[in-house]
Amino acid sequence: MGAIEDRIKSLGYMVPDAATPVANYVTTVHVKSAGLVFTSGHVPRNADGSFWAGKLGVDISVGEAYNAAQNCVLGILGSLKNELGDLDRVTRVVKVLCLVNSAPDFTDHPLVANGASDLLVEIFGDKGKHARSAVGLSSLPGNVCIEVEMVVEVS
Amino acid sequence: MGTPEEKIAQMGLELPPLQQPVANYVSAVQTGNLLFLSGAGPAVPRGGKILTGKLGRDLSVDEGYEAARSVGLVQIARLKNELGELSRVGRIVKLLAMVNSTPDFTDHPTVINGCSDLLVEVFGDAGRHARSAVGMANLPFGIPVEIEIIVEVVD
Repeated sequence: MGAIEDRIKSLGYMVPDAATPVANYVTTVHVKSAGLVFTSGHVPRNADGSFWAGKLGVDISVGEAYNAAQNCVLGILGSLKNELGDLDRVTRVVKVLCLVNSAPDFTDHPLVANGASDLLVEIFGDKGKHARSAVGLSSLPGNVCIEVEMVVEVS
Repeated sequence: MGTPEEKIAQMGLELPPLQQPVANYVSAVQTGNLLFLSGAGPAVPRGGKILTGKLGRDLSVDEGYEAARSVGLVQIARLKNELGELSRVGRIVKLLAMVNSTPDFTDHPTVINGCSDLLVEVFGDAGRHARSAVGMANLPFGIPVEIEIIVEVVD
């Protein structure tokens, strides 16, 4: 097990196995000519595998959605591990796009997205410091509360 | 398998005429081997009107699928214009697919399959991409789908 996976485990988190998309797309594309991996949007799942649903400002709290954002990041790390073999190959988290399912008057998107950002820095340290956009969507697939995609630099 | 151009002809499809952005932005920017395409909507038929409508209210999922497929053709037309030969597409890397939808709409992935399926039909394995599919409260001119794409280019 690599140093990053050791760290994730010591922090008490678990990286799930990579999900397999059921349509004509993939979870990650590794552009070797650019040293970048682009991930699909990952959605949060409950322990039983069901979608972690909810709309911010309607029926889910910022605190719950913060945890859901963490859940998305762990899912992405599972996909990256599948792509790279070893998460130690991540040299920088470049860019994170946090897509929050929210009511029209919701404004606390950054607090939700912090669930993703805090975890990335906790795990990767300075390499985990990323550029980010956090925005509100009027709806998301399966009514999930958040969807997160990422671009990472790899060696 | 022949060239993507031959594949498009075999499928009985025709690339739509290009529309140039009317403001201070461009349809495509290449940096290194990556080509970033601006968001595009469905093709506008010659002398016809822009397709409009919101999923969950005005358009069925099937109609949304066809709209997303039309967006895919517009983006392929842009690629043809930028690259000369579509065989220079090394990989379709990433889609950000935005669906104009009501707050309770949840079937975004099925809509966006319209674009994903087309890209895989035309480009084969090189067409398999990462993607995020999300719901927007509204889109320019009321179009039902807007998709931006990152492509890896080969010489």
